[in-house]
Amino acid sequence: MHKTRLVLIIILFINFNIFSQAEQQVILSDTINDLSTTNDVVDLFSISLSDDELNDDTSAADNISGLLNSSMDVFYRTAAYEFSSSFFKVRGLDSDNAIVHINGVKMNKLYNGRPQWSNWGGLNDVLRNQELSNGSIPLKYNFGGILGSNNINIRASEYGEGGRITYSSSNRSYSNRLMATYNSGMLEKGWAYSISIGRRWGNEGYQDASFYDSNSAFLSVQKIFNNKHSLNFAAIYAPNRRGKVSPNTQEVYDLKGIKYNEYWGYHDGEKRNSRVKRVVEPILLLNHDWSIDDKSNIETSIGYQFGEMGNSRLDYAGGANPSPAYYQDLPSYFLADTDGPDYEGAYIAQENFINNGQINWNRIYDANLTNNQANLNAAYVLYEDRVDDTQLTINSAYNREINENIKVTASANYRNLVSNNFAEISDMLGGYSYSNIDSFDYLDYNLLSPNSIVSEGDKFKYHYKMNAEEMSLFSMINFSFNKLEFYVAGDITNTTYQRDGIFENEANAGNSAGKGDEISFDGYGVKAGITYKFSGKHILDFNSAYLQKAPSIRNTFTNSRVNHNVVGSDINGLINDSPITEEKIMSFDANYIFRTPIFTGRLTGFYSEVKDANEISFYYADGLVGFEDDSEFIQEILQGIDKKYFGVEFGVEAQIIPTVKLKGAASIGQYTYDNNPYLYLGADNNTVAVGPSNLENYKIAGGPQKAYSVGFEYRDPDYWFIGITSNFFTNTYVDVSPLTRTQNFYLAQDGLPFNDYDISIARELLKQEKFDDYMVVNMIGGKSWKIDDYYVGFFASINNILDQKYRTGGFEQGRNANYQQLLQDTNKPKRVFGPKYWYGRGTNYFLNLYFRF
Amino acid sequence: MKLINKISILAFITLFAYSCVQDDDYSVPQSVGLEENQKLVQLLSEIENGSADLMSISEVKNLFVIGEVNEIESNLVVKGYVSSSDYTGNFYKEFYMQDDIENPTAGIKVSINQVDSYNQFNVGREVYIKLQGLYVGETNSGDGVIAIGGGGNAAGDEISEISENRASDCILRSSNSFMLVPLALNLSDINDSHIGVYVSALNAQFSAGLDGLTYVDPDEDYDTQRDLESCVDSGTLKLETSAFSNFNDSMLPTESSGTITGIITRDYFGDNRVMMLNTKDDVNFDSSRCDPLFADDFSSNNLNNWTVVNVTGEQEWEITPYGNPAPSAKMSGYSGGNNVNEDWLITNTIDLSSLSTATLNFQSVVRYNGPTLEVYASSDYSGGDPSTDGNWTELSVTLDTDSSSWSSWTDSGNIDLSSYTGGNVYIAFKYVSTSSGSATYEIDNVLVVGE
Repeated sequence: MHKTRLVLIIILFINFNIFSQAEQQVILSDTINDLSTTNDVVDLFSISLSDDELNDDTSAADNISGLLNSSMDVFYRTAAYEFSSSFFKVRGLDSDNAIVHINGVKMNKLYNGRPQWSNWGGLNDVLRNQELSNGSIPLKYNFGGILGSNNINIRASEYGEGGRITYSSSNRSYSNRLMATYNSGMLEKGWAYSISIGRRWGNEGYQDASFYDSNSAFLSVQKIFNNKHSLNFAAIYAPNRRGKVSPNTQEVYDLKGIKYNEYWGYHDGEKRNSRVKRVVEPILLLNHDWSIDDKSNIETSIGYQFGEMGNSRLDYAGGANPSPAYYQDLPSYFLADTDGPDYEGAYIAQENFINNGQINWNRIYDANLTNNQANLNAAYVLYEDRVDDTQLTINSAYNREINENIKVTASANYRNLVSNNFAEISDMLGGYSYSNIDSFDYLDYNLLSPNSIVSEGDKFKYHYKMNAEEMSLFSMINFSFNKLEFYVAGDITNTTYQRDGIFENEANAGNSAGKGDEISFDGYGVKAGITYKFSGKHILDFNSAYLQKAPSIRNTFTNSRVNHNVVGSDINGLINDSPITEEKIMSFDANYIFRTPIFTGRLTGFYSEVKDANEISFYYADGLVGFEDDSEFIQEILQGIDKKYFGVEFGVEAQIIPTVKLKGAASIGQYTYDNNPYLYLGADNNTVAVGPSNLENYKIAGGPQKAYSVGFEYRDPDYWFIGITSNFFTNTYVDVSPLTRTQNFYLAQDGLPFNDYDISIARELLKQEKFDDYMVVNMIGGKSWKIDDYYVGFFASINNILDQKYRTGGFEQGRNANYQQLLQDTNKPKRVFGPKYWYGRGTNYFLNLYFRF
Repeated sequence: MKLINKISILAFITLFAYSCVQDDDYSVPQSVGLEENQKLVQLLSEIENGSADLMSISEVKNLFVIGEVNEIESNLVVKGYVSSSDYTGNFYKEFYMQDDIENPTAGIKVSINQVDSYNQFNVGREVYIKLQGLYVGETNSGDGVIAIGGGGNAAGDEISEISENRASDCILRSSNSFMLVPLALNLSDINDSHIGVYVSALNAQFSAGLDGLTYVDPDEDYDTQRDLESCVDSGTLKLETSAFSNFNDSMLPTESSGTITGIITRDYFGDNRVMMLNTKDDVNFDSSRCDPLFADDFSSNNLNNWTVVNVTGEQEWEITPYGNPAPSAKMSGYSGGNNVNEDWLITNTIDLSSLSTATLNFQSVVRYNGPTLEVYASSDYSGGDPSTDGNWTELSVTLDTDSSSWSSWTDSGNIDLSSYTGGNVYIAFKYVSTSSGSATYEIDNVLVVGE
């Protein structure tokens, strides 16, 4: 009896250990400019991490730790719990290389290929049944990518009877979490159900005004008709709102500290964040499981997801830029005065920024009220960039064991997305009306309804629909023999996108409203892997993959808000004689897995290549050759990017005595650009072909390329445990601006090199910034009790005990695009347009209490 | 039963969990304007108890020392009503204010490091500026526009902008906003005393030759000046528009004439007095064009529009390379000594047949002593000797009387020619000199307009 209890409690600990590192959301904001982007926030069961989009597409913190925490692999668990707060990316790859399924339905968004973790956040208890494949190995539902696949099984009959109530307290992303779950287990007549509700909330996470407001509800009902057929219906509803956090220049961090967030200000004494991400995208799933016989079955899933996603921000057509960290309001701007440093101005700006330095809501309201008096349109409005998606997914997977050595899987997939994109005014901020005309160039946002006056609830700026369709067939054969297992898999996919403009943007007239051309991609992929077992204790495993896949919607359309252009061409045709193509991905890994009485672990070498990728960024740049004005708000399109990723990863655990376990893990990689992709710029209907961007051998930004962890765990027989880990991170790089690596950098407006161009200075200016190495120490401990039939327990973790300040990511601002400007900026006492950075959290805690019945 | 218990526990917890976080339902903050209002109350009490002195805009302008910046050290306050607006982008980092809502007597510029200030300092807003620590001077030395600024440059001849941070302490709005009544003036009556004032220029139109042009020349990087002329006198004014204004590419309304309302100021280098618009809507040209029936500023350097008749003496009317501006028409009987002369300068036929009113205007300057110039009108002159040809009626005009200066150009005033409507009219300048006295007269900008 005693022994059983012990085992049970240890299992619980393990469970909660998973929990423990929980919810490390870092809500990272999009960048400087308008046409920004979504921020996907990773928020899965135990770990949630940010998926920020630095400078739009080049993400620093897009990782898949949400997938990994359920893995039993030491390295993956370390990556999930210890490395993720540093925005470490497994194998350097973005999360669009990993596929998340729920009951066989692929959840990665067609927009950017990434899973939207917040769609099912806060439902940890019911998302634990997972199948996970590593690397390029496919699951049965889809061919998958090269960074693993997982399937969360939420069939009601899979949950054991019982309930659980959990309360958590933290200062990371939310302050409080309450979750309650009840599973019926199998009831009479083949019914089973599971319900779970959760709420996570807090006025402020680690960073200022990063409020959190999320509810979650889950229902799954299954009816097993007989031993051949069962039906499961599930609904997931997890509306989520949270305040975003800004990236900042070093100057700003120096003045305001690493918790500083420029997006908020006091509104009648309450912290009000202007940038709120709101996701309400319920998921409905219907599954039919059909066991044809004891050797074969068909699983069919229909998924329907609808709802809305909004990212709010201030628009200021009739007012000054409301950003308190606007470069003209910071001391560096005054020190950079062309007449010599203006120390008094700098001092006043510094005092003001330190003492205020937040959004002045009163001034914004006052401006609008003043304009009301004068019968003018509002100067400011708060609006949301909205993406209202409706997606239908149908998947049918067939499995058959031909004999005890051969297993065949085949599946067909269909996905259809209608994505309605627009900006909508969410708060008039005291004003009455607003103009639908671009205040920079005075061009109309919608010629179909020119000179519109808009107000709360109205769409403005841009409005278009994106229709996407994806069809794929996938098949895999697994062979397994005594010592040898291998598989071969193949897939073929057709993807089409079509933009349908609702507004006719004046600057893009003729190329804006109505349906654009249908863009179609065909991709195929092959994968193969072989596993050789020397014994159960020593296993060698090799996997390889080659796949072509359609670029995501976001990497296909260069400025879908206003026109039909796709990468590689504009209204006049091809730009560099190369139309948009599928991305090609090649991957290989070799694994040695060992499991001895004391040591368990894995050592892997990996090599991946990505070819013909595209990236699109939006920003405001000064110093551009070829445009009418030398300052423009532009799209920067990087076409045909090749990237190379290789390295080794390993994880090992040693159970030296029954109560003490030592752990070690490391990932040592090198992730670089592997060619000089073509760069061109667009601004409305204007395209400027720039030429190759000399990116080859620059490091790819996105977390540390080298990460190491050592730690130990002590588990006392008296139901308490404690663990400490030290983690070291090196080789984290800033995201470089591709435009400054083109000829635009050294050419003057007349197309000739600058007279003062000095190649050795240029080399220094263009050197990629490498962030400081750092160490983060984390601690965890907990205890549990059994009271009658109930279990009660808690655990707490403290992360970054030493309060290490470290940069997790950053990007060069594209604003100073040429040699003279960059040199001028770097020669100033303080850089005005220095890189913007994200910092990791200082010391933070997570406390979890649970009650199980 | 057990299940129901469990469900109720869940429901209870959910309710409990429904605690508040930042809501997305906000209304206008209660605190809007409170702080500024407190500062103003404090300032007004200082004025009340005499620890601060309220000055007029004219008094503040008197603090300006030419070529210098003047820091205000004592606790002075100036009150004004905002006259300009940067709503359309025509003004940038500045606003003007004037000393009254109606019939203002002075205006001043406020140089401020703030864009879109219209949404704070709206036209007609009553504003108090605490001057202590601020500067009075010019933003561009010598431009002739007195301004309040936040500092001085190294050379000590130009003031800089008041920073936004500082502005919130020293530029305080009252809650009062008024409709300004523009000061209505004919173009020739507009002068430097109106700088900073919201002025309606009456009976104005764009000069001939601007058809098809926009407010701003697309080739100009900063601003463009377009000439306005008067329908009723010889006054002119330049309308200056910034390339950053939202109506920069609008077409000039050259088809019509009427009232144009804006702020009087001087251009960047101070070379010209200009009007700048708050908005294009302040151009209210609702009458047809009033191109003059006769106009000669002698810039063509000839007297082709005139009949020159030498009745007596050797000297006659001629073009001179001086004028207002040069050239002009000149007559002097002096040549080595005073000579007896009678010389007429007579306009070509001016057709007033379809008009109901007409007005004559010109400018003159006189030097040296002699008989006074006389101005006549005739409806029946036929090109001969005016002493016998035509019935001439002398007109009552204002002529220059300061015979000691070449620069005392004097406007004739608007001389009514309505009695000549329905037919032709000829205007004649009759010069007479004697052996004892021969003045030199120059006349310029001869203009006959009518409707």
